[in-house]
Amino acid sequence: MQGSSSDKLDISVAVRNVQKTLRSGTGIIALIIRTWRRSHRFKIGLLISLFIVIIGVLAPFLAPYPRDGLGYVPEDALLKIRLPPSQEHLFGTDTRGRDIFSRVVFGVRSALLQIFLVVSSSLLIGLFMGVLAAYYKGIVETVINYLIELFMSIPAIVIALALRLVLGSGLLTVVLALIITWWSWYGRVTYIYSRSIVEMDYVLLAKLSGVSGLKIILRHVVRNASPPVLVQAVTDLGSVLLEASAINFLGLGLPPDSPEWGVIMQEGIQYLSISPWISVFPGVFILVTALGFSLIGDSLREEVDPKLRRRWRLWF
Amino acid sequence: MVLAVKAENLKIGYEDEEIVWAVKGVSFKVEVAEIFCLVGESGCGKSTTGNAIVGILPPYSITDGVLRVFGKTVIEGNKRDYTGVRGRVVSYVPQNPGSSLNPYLTVEEQFYYVLNSVYGWGRRKALEEAAKYLKMVDLDPGRVMDYYPHELSGGMQQRTAIALALSTGAKIIVADEPTSALDAHLRLGLIRLLTRLRDTIKLTLIFITHDLLSAGKICDKIAIMYSGRILELGPSGKILTEPLHPYTEMLVDAVPILGVLKPLKAYGGEPPPPNVEVKGCLFLDRCPKKFEKCYQSHPSPEEVHERIVECWRYV
Amino acid sequence: MPVSLNYIVKRLFWSILVLIGVIVFSYLVIILSPGDPATKWAGNPRGVNATLAIEAARRELGLDKPLHIQVFEFLVKVFTGNLGTSIAYKQPVFTILYSNLAATLELLFCSYVIVLPIGIFLGVYSALHRDELIDDVLQTFGTVTANTPAFWLAAIVFLMLVSSGHPVYGRIDTRLALETGFQPMTGLYLLDSVLQGNMVVFVDVLIKLIPPALIVGVYPLGLSIRLSRTLMAESLTEDFVRAAVAWGVRKRRIIWKYAFRASIPPLVQVSGLAFAYSLIDAMVVEYAVFGREGLGRLLVDALNYSDFKLAIGLLIIVTVFYLVINTLADLIQALIDPRVRL
Repeated sequence: MQGSSSDKLDISVAVRNVQKTLRSGTGIIALIIRTWRRSHRFKIGLLISLFIVIIGVLAPFLAPYPRDGLGYVPEDALLKIRLPPSQEHLFGTDTRGRDIFSRVVFGVRSALLQIFLVVSSSLLIGLFMGVLAAYYKGIVETVINYLIELFMSIPAIVIALALRLVLGSGLLTVVLALIITWWSWYGRVTYIYSRSIVEMDYVLLAKLSGVSGLKIILRHVVRNASPPVLVQAVTDLGSVLLEASAINFLGLGLPPDSPEWGVIMQEGIQYLSISPWISVFPGVFILVTALGFSLIGDSLREEVDPKLRRRWRLWF
Repeated sequence: MVLAVKAENLKIGYEDEEIVWAVKGVSFKVEVAEIFCLVGESGCGKSTTGNAIVGILPPYSITDGVLRVFGKTVIEGNKRDYTGVRGRVVSYVPQNPGSSLNPYLTVEEQFYYVLNSVYGWGRRKALEEAAKYLKMVDLDPGRVMDYYPHELSGGMQQRTAIALALSTGAKIIVADEPTSALDAHLRLGLIRLLTRLRDTIKLTLIFITHDLLSAGKICDKIAIMYSGRILELGPSGKILTEPLHPYTEMLVDAVPILGVLKPLKAYGGEPPPPNVEVKGCLFLDRCPKKFEKCYQSHPSPEEVHERIVECWRYV
Repeated sequence: MPVSLNYIVKRLFWSILVLIGVIVFSYLVIILSPGDPATKWAGNPRGVNATLAIEAARRELGLDKPLHIQVFEFLVKVFTGNLGTSIAYKQPVFTILYSNLAATLELLFCSYVIVLPIGIFLGVYSALHRDELIDDVLQTFGTVTANTPAFWLAAIVFLMLVSSGHPVYGRIDTRLALETGFQPMTGLYLLDSVLQGNMVVFVDVLIKLIPPALIVGVYPLGLSIRLSRTLMAESLTEDFVRAAVAWGVRKRRIIWKYAFRASIPPLVQVSGLAFAYSLIDAMVVEYAVFGREGLGRLLVDALNYSDFKLAIGLLIIVTVFYLVINTLADLIQALIDPRVRL
């Protein structure tokens, strides 16, 4: 207190301290453990999701008719068109004689592939764009914000339609249509968060000492903004599944015969009153899978929010 | 003769993973037309006690003991019943009066809703009464009634809220930290207004504050709270000039008193958090005068020269 | 965030810019994606008249002009309502969009008008009985409905109706309409039948409307229950609610005039978003499962006929709908918030 010995600011030391803090991490593992202990919903959601993933992984072994599952039509198909559920065909057979249970089981892979592709790509793009907009400001900021606003206003289905007419059917169509819509939300959240970080002193310090401020922000944003954004991404896995299935159901994505729940449902919709099993069973799987991810995401979100939220007040 | 407020071993807590007691058993009496101060550091339970008197304890609260307001039992064990008490008997001036106004209603409507709920009056009568109270806080009803809160200045908002609080015609006013959030020129005005009402209509006042100095100047009786208990309770003059409890001494030492030449001392440390079990006297950690009895249990209240103290030195 | 007049104007301006961006984007999709733009625009024609059609399309798109002129002319065309002639319907795209939009909107509107008040009320009730059984039930309902694919639910409901002997298909019984001399006027058949005093058709349209309306409403119902419950629970912790309780204001008043009143602005905003989102659900469900006309049918037809003009028209109209609803929601929010003086 008697007066500092030296007023020299050792910038490299300061920067090193900053990097040390950034490395200490946010304990995502700890968050998961905590949520597991406290929330029933988390347990249920995690179990459902794990169950589904395991089905997906073991699909070739679980499916009694793996070739049917992949979409191939068996030789004796003509004898087996649209059979109701039975012992040989747990979920019945479809319009071309394939075992629906096998197709649904393989459908898990398709579903998981689509949603992980979409969410991870959207997350990366959104993160990147958001940080860029906050860091470089000016024109870059305005343009990126405009793009975010633009793509938030267009629903994925109509984009899928346009892409379908242009690119034909396939995984690319459905995945691309969804990425184009979903990245914007992550972009917006990252932008808002980065905006406040950019102003902070240690970023200025880092820039002065030659360390790329952009790298610092990116790392800091990833460390601190990631819990809420990642949690939202988990819930989004479910929402994306619902949208992707709808796109495929309308024929705007994957082609017929694909092992995909929405596609199978589309094939069965014309025969709904006669052979309901074709459309009903895949839909159940969509519901359950989406529910699983949604429960995980919801319960994680409750944990990430300040605990004060648990206190509630009614004055009577 | 009925007491305005009577608390008998009142405990207030809430359930987290087990019961946490914010107020660990307080007993006190407030006479009619008395100015009573609850003094203590943040987190000592004074606001919670105040809330209990007003009737705004959250429903997840757990209570024990007895609390009576003008003879009516509002808290008994874990049962709480404030029917007919809120507004009509007890009113509340919150710490931040400006944000206690409903931003979606005009001042006029807010007075109407309050007075109509408490007394069942129609609009005209409610507005007449409201005008009376607005004038009491130096506000011109014509300039205030038709407006939404955000259209008034900060000071006017505060005064309007105070007028609202008083307009319920309550016999007891609980004011939470009346000296902190108010603008400076309003502080003195509020205190003057309340003391004037005490003189004229026998209003009972309960102030909750951390400021011992102001409490000493305004209040008749002071209760010093610490970690959920009342460590010393007595007439304010005596408490300041002859503190009995070491904690009171500590507070007095840290505060400048006009006319008394003394060095100011600052004490470190913090009260124990409410969920931690403390063996021995609650003040143990920071007490400069502790001895072995203090390590065994928390002292029960003792009457010493017309005061009540919880300290082993006086047993 | 309090809304001000300045903000509304900015939003309107921004929305128009977004709309322009959408149109430009759709144009770029035609031009920049693999394949010859003119062929795509002409709908991949085959056969004898293919070359002629493609040439016509080339002229329509103005492909020989520089890019920025192309885009500009396209923009002008769209804003003047000239979206070309649909390959599927052989009529101006604009006309087709308009009549089908009315059908889908009718569905959406009926659905919302029923579902929204119920959802909000249940949400408030849930908040007041927080952590009790009814609260858990309603919240579970909300979570499950948020994850139910609308088209699957539609299939289930359709099945139930069929098996109970009361199948619902289509939007109106055309034979009945012809017999009773029904004339579409506004495109909203419910309204039209009332205006013409044609109760038979009214009942018919209504019955065919209810199942899809309920299905489309399931997601908004769950959402509004959860949302209003969360908002209500938060409002109840506000300072001014606490003060009002302390001053003796009656319980019912506190609930509606204090706590609920504070929840209205965000409720309006999110309801607007959900309403816009429901359009998509409606489009998916109405034609594929219930065979009704509407934008959903256009979607399927555009696909089957490679009708690019129709597809672009759909894209634009859906986006316009989104923008309009969101701006409207903001406007309403501003109107009911006394902190905004318009």
